[in-house]
Amino acid sequence: MKHLKSLNKKAQRLDAAEGKPEVIEEVVAMQTVVGCTATTDPGWEIDAFGGATSLCQPMEADLYGCADSCWWPAQVPDTMSHYPDWGDGKADATKDWRKLDGIFEDKI
Amino acid sequence: MNKEKSITSIVGAGLLALAAAVGVPAPAAAADGAALLAANCLSCHSALGSTISRVEGQRKSPEGWQMTITRMQEQHGAKISPQDKRALIKYLADTRGLAPTEAAPWRYLLEHDNNRVEALDDTYKDMCARCHSGARFALQRRSEGEWSLLMHSHIGLNPTLEFHSLARDRAWFQHAVGEIAPALARDFALDAKAWTAWQAAPRVTLAGSWRITGYLPGKGEFEGRMTASAAGEDRFELRLEGRYADGGALAGSGVATVYTGYEWRGSVDIDGVALRQVLAADARATTMKGRQHLAASRRVGGELVAVRESAAPRLVAVMPGHLRRGETAELTLVGSGLDGAVSLGSGVRVLEVVARSADRVVVRARAEGGDGLRDVAVGAARGKGLLAVYERVARVDVEPANAIARVGGPGDAQMEKVGVAYRALGWAAGRDGKAGTADDLRLGYLPVQWSIEAADEEAEKARDQDFVGRIGADGVFVPGDAGPNPARPKSLGNTGRVKVVAAVGEAGERVEGRGSLDVAVPDFVQRALD
Repeated sequence: MKHLKSLNKKAQRLDAAEGKPEVIEEVVAMQTVVGCTATTDPGWEIDAFGGATSLCQPMEADLYGCADSCWWPAQVPDTMSHYPDWGDGKADATKDWRKLDGIFEDKI
Repeated sequence: MNKEKSITSIVGAGLLALAAAVGVPAPAAAADGAALLAANCLSCHSALGSTISRVEGQRKSPEGWQMTITRMQEQHGAKISPQDKRALIKYLADTRGLAPTEAAPWRYLLEHDNNRVEALDDTYKDMCARCHSGARFALQRRSEGEWSLLMHSHIGLNPTLEFHSLARDRAWFQHAVGEIAPALARDFALDAKAWTAWQAAPRVTLAGSWRITGYLPGKGEFEGRMTASAAGEDRFELRLEGRYADGGALAGSGVATVYTGYEWRGSVDIDGVALRQVLAADARATTMKGRQHLAASRRVGGELVAVRESAAPRLVAVMPGHLRRGETAELTLVGSGLDGAVSLGSGVRVLEVVARSADRVVVRARAEGGDGLRDVAVGAARGKGLLAVYERVARVDVEPANAIARVGGPGDAQMEKVGVAYRALGWAAGRDGKAGTADDLRLGYLPVQWSIEAADEEAEKARDQDFVGRIGADGVFVPGDAGPNPARPKSLGNTGRVKVVAAVGEAGERVEGRGSLDVAVPDFVQRALD
């Protein structure tokens, strides 16, 4: 890293974590909680550093921008392939978020 | 999803959870299963002896097959009745399932005990488990051709996945097909001795009387008896009775289906609360272990152990399983056929037998002697290391150590809150006198004081701990309401990161443990396996 300078906040935090295995370990631990989408950017639950600062917040502000492009297919119904009608009647998620329902495939 | 609406819609649409197959006909025998497979699937698949194309290259858990059939319905328009679907899941799990040893490392996903860190090879972590659990694929066995086709369907259904972080830095598809599919075929091979041996092993019915012990969030530890009466092939009607540690009675009933000879899926109602049981029977069908969770919120649950009762007296648990030196406390010895003198091991005196029956003996006891596990006996029934004697708690582990809760509600909002049920595991320091070393003495779960605090400076600055929710005295964390919160900067929701703190002891002797909790936005997609 001698000749490289970190430009953004994420990169600076990674620099700071270098050489501190306990910090990296903590980050990894939170990244791999079962079924948690963390390695997409931004993640759905947490960002790549185990924090929340790099997430799209509030998520309602641009939900379909990501749902339409199948960004978190395991957490958000993607309207590209699996659930094209999910957002119907809820065009503005910032106002209609109460109407957003889940997909419950554990039922037969 | 609104609870009332969810119940109405489930009943109205004739939908029942896999484990809740009440009143349906006995499952199809193998010949009927093959016929059902042909009748429902051959319009797209081709026949291959007694099976069909694609299916012949795969083995899975019952829930894995459920997901497959659901996908056929959702993505390919397959019309399959709920009865046929249940029978097909049973047939496929029985004939193309997983051996107990194959499923064992990944049972947490079947149990929906997801608040844990997965132990996965980095290769799979980056390629697969960055979106969904690693256990989802580890609970499958496929030929290399079938693993490869899985990659094809991934890119076909989720075409933008190549643009994700940890995908765009590599030729994802080429890597998936060229490197990952062969690795999966090696690590999770279709043909395995374990499966051949399990198929050949004699099946022992799980009907009978079971002594059960477990934990229910908000209610505490319990012990009781579960009677399973045969009600068709691999199907059982259940009666449950027992009591909680606080003396309150427990009663319930339900049904269970057994898949693959050992995968127990129960659906019970205990004192008006709908619960699901996910257990695995051992090879001799003498013990079943797993988890029981709320039907309405599968993340909230606790362990469940069932030990088969026989003519021989048996001691299964001491509740609580720890006694502090110099203190007098009431202990309940749980078992069946309990008769004879009570012994609590060296240095532990039974001061009084408060109550006794063949099922349980309540004693008042006082401990002396050094830290360590004591063997316990009631007459001929013996239990090794069932009671831990200690002087002081040196360490507290918060379980789960890493967890995710989900904001939900309020009012008419469709998505419900998803909480976390916490417990605190106590340890004494062991012979070296140092906490956190290999010789620490496990004391079992302790009553503690629960609180939350900000996870770090950043979370403190945003006052996450004031918004994300509350933890009750029973260790159940209930997250805050969903939606943007105008009281927070930039209309952030009530999401955030906190540490959950468990504390025991008075000032001067206070010991604390901490767990990381991420209070996140809802998970809108609940598959049979996440």
